[in-house]
Amino acid sequence: MNESVALSGSLGFLSLGDIIQLLGSSGSTGVLRLINRYAPDPGFIYFIEGNPINAQNGDIDGLDALYSLFGWVNGSFEFTREAILADKRITKSRMGIILEGMKLLDDGHIKKVGPATSTDKAAEMKRLLSKTAIVKGPLVDYMYVVDEEDFFDGEHIVEEGKHGSWIWVILEGVVDIVKEVESGTIPIIRIGDGSFIGSMASFLLQGHIRTATAVAVGNVQLGVLDSQRLAQEYAGMSLEFRTFLTSLDKRLKQLTERIVEYHNGNVQTADILKDKKVLIRQAKTEEEQLYVVKQGRASVVRNTENGPVVLCHLYKGDFFGDVPFLHLGQEPEGASIYGSENIKIAKIEAVSLHKEYNRLSTTFKNIVDNMATCMSVTADIVCNSLASKKAETVDTNSRQGK
Amino acid sequence: MAIFNLKKREIECKVVYYGPGRCGKTTNLEYVFKSYKKQVTGEMVSINTEGDRTLFFDFLPIGLGKIKGCDIRVQLYTVPGQVKYSSTRKLVLRGVDGIVFVADSLEVRREKNMISLKDLQSNLKEYGKSIFKVPLIMQYNKRDLADEGIPLMSIEQMERDLNRQLKVPSFPGSAMKGTGVGVTLKACLMETLKSLQREFKWAK
Repeated sequence: MNESVALSGSLGFLSLGDIIQLLGSSGSTGVLRLINRYAPDPGFIYFIEGNPINAQNGDIDGLDALYSLFGWVNGSFEFTREAILADKRITKSRMGIILEGMKLLDDGHIKKVGPATSTDKAAEMKRLLSKTAIVKGPLVDYMYVVDEEDFFDGEHIVEEGKHGSWIWVILEGVVDIVKEVESGTIPIIRIGDGSFIGSMASFLLQGHIRTATAVAVGNVQLGVLDSQRLAQEYAGMSLEFRTFLTSLDKRLKQLTERIVEYHNGNVQTADILKDKKVLIRQAKTEEEQLYVVKQGRASVVRNTENGPVVLCHLYKGDFFGDVPFLHLGQEPEGASIYGSENIKIAKIEAVSLHKEYNRLSTTFKNIVDNMATCMSVTADIVCNSLASKKAETVDTNSRQGK
Repeated sequence: MAIFNLKKREIECKVVYYGPGRCGKTTNLEYVFKSYKKQVTGEMVSINTEGDRTLFFDFLPIGLGKIKGCDIRVQLYTVPGQVKYSSTRKLVLRGVDGIVFVADSLEVRREKNMISLKDLQSNLKEYGKSIFKVPLIMQYNKRDLADEGIPLMSIEQMERDLNRQLKVPSFPGSAMKGTGVGVTLKACLMETLKSLQREFKWAK
């Protein structure tokens, strides 16, 4: 850092209004430099004896530039003491500028420069997901929360394809889970208080790549979970339970991808179901057995008004059947299982899994429950997106389901 | 918390006029600005916010003495009532040293008063302050309107509505005519300074 820097810090902690007051009461002369990673150039405000006399933000300068900088609600600042040679372009009183700046910001006349790229999209997202239910979780067990983080409206919490193994729990607020594709952003699910961001894959050594993007809707407070503790707990589980969990996680990922596929409209259900035999038929409640796939391939299919919808595929090591302690909303009550010709399956004792589930820590149990709820909701969304896709083809003018 | 400006040997403290929209906060401050011109330093800043105006100016109270040889400079603010002006409210209320709550005596504004007071409490809480501890003065404004036959709430009723638990000093007032404006401000400054002095003793 430059030696002449007299004051520096984060705009999230000390807002521009506060900084100007501070520099005003100390009667400082120098340059205030603001850095925002969402803006291409830094902003400058020039002070003489505590009063701002000029400012610069990109192409604009003077008072307009100064006001526009009030929109930089996060970023960093540094003040350097130096002689000012700039023209005196601003004559308005300090407090007048601050109050006017704040007012313009609150009135929405100043653009908030945060994650600027997603603001337009965020508005569209809100419209898209407004009808969707918000998945919430139970009360947060603070024992596992090591840190709190705040995100503002439209900010990306995690981005698809980026590395990271943190798991967050939403303490307050709403988050949209979305997938970025070439044609734009596809909403997947909306989650709220008590829900988790991050997946079981975080515990696997190789699984540190984020599979979807999480965007804050309104201001969101997140709790960072003690991932080491959770990973230790995960490592202490039986192999069977761990494969069960990863199997669930794989399903959830597939469901998410299915939404994208249906969105693009490139799924041929008929082909997939060819040469398949039914292992579990939908809505047959007497089926209370849990199976594991030993060989071959199985598909989870839901029969809807619009025909069968393939939810996900199961491979060697994956589980299917009735899970007594979780509500997945799929087979047996909400979906059928089709198996390939060469499929081999084995029965699984659900009792031992159930016992192990009961022994989980509250937080881990919440993560598993939350995952199950998300699976159930995502499956519904998959079916709905197919339905709306069909409606779209019937009525080409209809913009529904976009 | 007041700001100590060692360069100027001044203690800067903040007094905020709070209350429901159109209750007369701005009129109060305008009256102070006009009638105590000699004590006002700098210009009055007036910002038009939706349905209200936000005012600010510096004020040097005379005859309140000095604290530790430092002059006292008071920043007087009004705060915009609308929910959306959260940035302004945050800036104004942060580090507030004293508050004047201006209540509207009109019968129809009864509920608005109570909502605004509740609002003040929750806003203060956000900045880690308790409404019971912050120096607070009540002013029951627009008393003069009774002469025009407009139905007003009685002082007793307003005391019951707003001041039953708080038990802070309260004054009737008519900001348009200027009655009660001076006493309210003076009482608030006294309370503020008393509380500041208490703080210094703790610091010793």
